[in-house]
Amino acid sequence: MSTMQISLKRLLNKKEIAAILQQLITGLAGAGQSALPFAIADAQGTVLMGIAGEYSHHHRVEVEGQCFGWVMGSAEMSAIASLLSFLAAKELEKKQLAQETLDRYKEVTLLYNLSEKMTANLQLQAVATLVLEEASKLIVGNSGAVMFFDPETAETMQLASFGQEFCLQPGQGIIGTIFDTGNGEIVNHVAKDVRRTPAEQGFHSLVCAPLKSHNRTIGVIIIASSDLPISYTAADLKRLNAVASQAAAAIENALLHENKLREERIKSNLERYVPARLVQAILQSNGEISLAPVRKEISVLFSDIRNFTSQCEELEPELVVGYLNEYFTHMVDVIFYHQGTVNKFVGDMIVALFGAPSLVENNQSCAIEAAIAMQQRIQTIPITWIRENFHTGIGISSGKVIVGNIGSPQHMDYTAIGDEVNTASRLQSIAKGGQILVTRSVYEATCDQFQFKDFGSINVKGKKNAIEVFEVVY
Amino acid sequence: MSKKILIVDDEPHIRLLLEQTLEELEDQDVELLTATNGKEALDLIQTELPQLVFLDVMMPQMNGFDVCHTVKHELAIADIYIIMLTAKGQEFDKQKGMEVGADLYMTKPFDPDEVMEKSVEVLGL
Repeated sequence: MSTMQISLKRLLNKKEIAAILQQLITGLAGAGQSALPFAIADAQGTVLMGIAGEYSHHHRVEVEGQCFGWVMGSAEMSAIASLLSFLAAKELEKKQLAQETLDRYKEVTLLYNLSEKMTANLQLQAVATLVLEEASKLIVGNSGAVMFFDPETAETMQLASFGQEFCLQPGQGIIGTIFDTGNGEIVNHVAKDVRRTPAEQGFHSLVCAPLKSHNRTIGVIIIASSDLPISYTAADLKRLNAVASQAAAAIENALLHENKLREERIKSNLERYVPARLVQAILQSNGEISLAPVRKEISVLFSDIRNFTSQCEELEPELVVGYLNEYFTHMVDVIFYHQGTVNKFVGDMIVALFGAPSLVENNQSCAIEAAIAMQQRIQTIPITWIRENFHTGIGISSGKVIVGNIGSPQHMDYTAIGDEVNTASRLQSIAKGGQILVTRSVYEATCDQFQFKDFGSINVKGKKNAIEVFEVVY
Repeated sequence: MSKKILIVDDEPHIRLLLEQTLEELEDQDVELLTATNGKEALDLIQTELPQLVFLDVMMPQMNGFDVCHTVKHELAIADIYIIMLTAKGQEFDKQKGMEVGADLYMTKPFDPDEVMEKSVEVLGL
């Protein structure tokens, strides 16, 4: 805090004081006597009250040894100087108190503004930058940082910084220890602190506060000096703690918001392939439902429109796409309803999986139910041309296949690979419009729920023996 | 005629803070006056004719709105700039503020720099 200046002029400007002085000076002369000549001057000699002139006595007005002015006149005028000294001391006290209060008040204002700005901001980096900016307004230093430690990845993120670099490794160095203990610290002689790391050696002094959220330390905020030997005070740490507690909440909010955004992105991507409720299940599953490739017991359904290309030849391309989209929308709806996942569309063909990514106990019967519903749904689509021209053949197989995200980092598909996939594709290709063909494994799992007709045996590429095929009667 | 600023608030610390904030204006012959309630403020406004008033809204006896209304409408004192001070969280009734003739309002905690700037501007220093 700068040294306080008391202005004698201001003191004498106060009406009450001026009045008392006049009264006293008159009193000093004694009853019936004319007033004693006097002058009150400031430290520089400028006369503020009375009449300038030559006086026998000069009485100092002083507070704690510092001269604020002079009372000139007779010897008796020393009483006036004493009174002014006393008043000046009181004024100084009041001023110091007021200044201190004002300083605190400015801090409060800053924190108020900070919290307002922060709540309006959900961007992590922006929040951190704001926090550091405000902290550096309150505490002197040529370096600073807001760092966040992610316990899941065990990585430190420097969210904002200025000046020299800092490093946060839990348990390592001064900053790491502060992070671990969760107690803010002032270190005014970094060089003498045995905990310091080589990186921290570049600082004279630092003040560091933990960012705490729900009793867990999520990071730190640091202000440090590398050029000047600044001695940080308890008040500095208190201020930094105040900023840190606000910052922690805002950073936590920003993090939550980022996660939410990421989740939303995943969700919107996923929802094209799997039913919305399954997306929710995946997001809430804590990794139980994984998109990583695994071998799974599932049913695979292929559906294709018979003679689609030749039927569409006479139509405008836009119309074809319009009809297809209408058709797909209905089919996807049916598949999702029966717990299926749409693996992909290839031209007019739909590939759907039942039992992946999440387990479906009776995946074979779900697949057949879906297939029947698909056939029936086509007949309800409110576009005559579709009802008259879209006749689909469906093939279903079941067994162990590999499912998961397959592809390059730039392009991934959640897809299935295995013999059963080829088999279902083959069945679909021989199914006539309206027909649903299934393999023996599907038939065996569902023969008590649906009616079947023997369809005979067919050869499938890659399989030595012919496979038995059954047609669903519905 | 020296310039005068009147600070009206029933809370001593707010008066002290505003005084401290504006203290250096005293070097430019600005006189700082204080009042602790609306009635006292009204008396001082009439006798001292300050150019600028910092007026708290929530006060016992006579609140800031009433003081402002009396000054601006009933007494029709011209050349007086009134800044209403309102506590954070208690929503300032802007409509009412306008009706009673307030020139500006500031929320507490006020920003000392803003208080200083505005005072210098209003007093034409």
